[in-house]
Amino acid sequence: MASQGIREFDYDKLEIGEELGSYEYVLTQEMLDNFRLAVDDPDASFPTLAVKHDATAFAMVYEDNTGGVNAGNEVEFFNPPIPGKTIRVTGRVADKYLRRDKPYMVIEATAVDEDGRLLEKLRTYQMKKPDEVGKKWKK
Amino acid sequence: MEEVKMDLNQEIPSVSKKITQESINQFESCGILDRQNIHNNPELAKQRLGFAHPLASGRMSVAFAAESLRKFFGPEVFNHTGTVNLKFLRPVKNGDTITVTGNVSHQQEIDKGTLVTVALFCENQDQDRTAIGNGTAII
Repeated sequence: MASQGIREFDYDKLEIGEELGSYEYVLTQEMLDNFRLAVDDPDASFPTLAVKHDATAFAMVYEDNTGGVNAGNEVEFFNPPIPGKTIRVTGRVADKYLRRDKPYMVIEATAVDEDGRLLEKLRTYQMKKPDEVGKKWKK
Repeated sequence: MEEVKMDLNQEIPSVSKKITQESINQFESCGILDRQNIHNNPELAKQRLGFAHPLASGRMSVAFAAESLRKFFGPEVFNHTGTVNLKFLRPVKNGDTITVTGNVSHQQEIDKGTLVTVALFCENQDQDRTAIGNGTAII
């Protein structure tokens, strides 16, 4: 698994379109079994959901001490990953914007396997002021 | 134009999942980075959100919605043409039971067949909506 230099996250400096970490890993049968156990679905086909491809790509580039709250996910499924195959992931910053004075970033990742099969595209909308969400949710 | 194969408002199979801290931790352990976060570390949940307990990843609800849609469309369809788009409204935590329901809301003829859109709803045991969105597949 390749990693890149990690830098401290600064929302203001984040650029739309900037590349996040690119990496490879081998999906094992154990990973698939563990995922199916976690979601209580013996036929679940995309353990990649729990690998959090986009967030992992982000974490490979940024040290983020603020954290964030996941406001939404968009996932496109193309082909279930096959245990034993290497998965290649590329991530990028798709968007950033303010909504109701709260900062959001949108990160996305695309996963293909070693044979070039497109597996999944994932996009996450993350609000980067988690304490505000905490206050709202505690009401 | 191909024949429309689904009835509008047709319900998809509902899926109910009991959420435990064990299942949350299991989900988090499926990643390739050994990361502490608001899902598996009570201190971080308190520090970043002001919560006394960790929260389940929204991606667990994505997996539950994907299961419901896969059962509706069939794996051969959903695992190759499916999408899930969820917006998270309320936190999900240990002890909650999340139920996914949905119904066909739209159909559109496209080059590859019929794009069927399903309105998705995730509710907890108090009938509070924790997430809403939609899923699609091409039949």
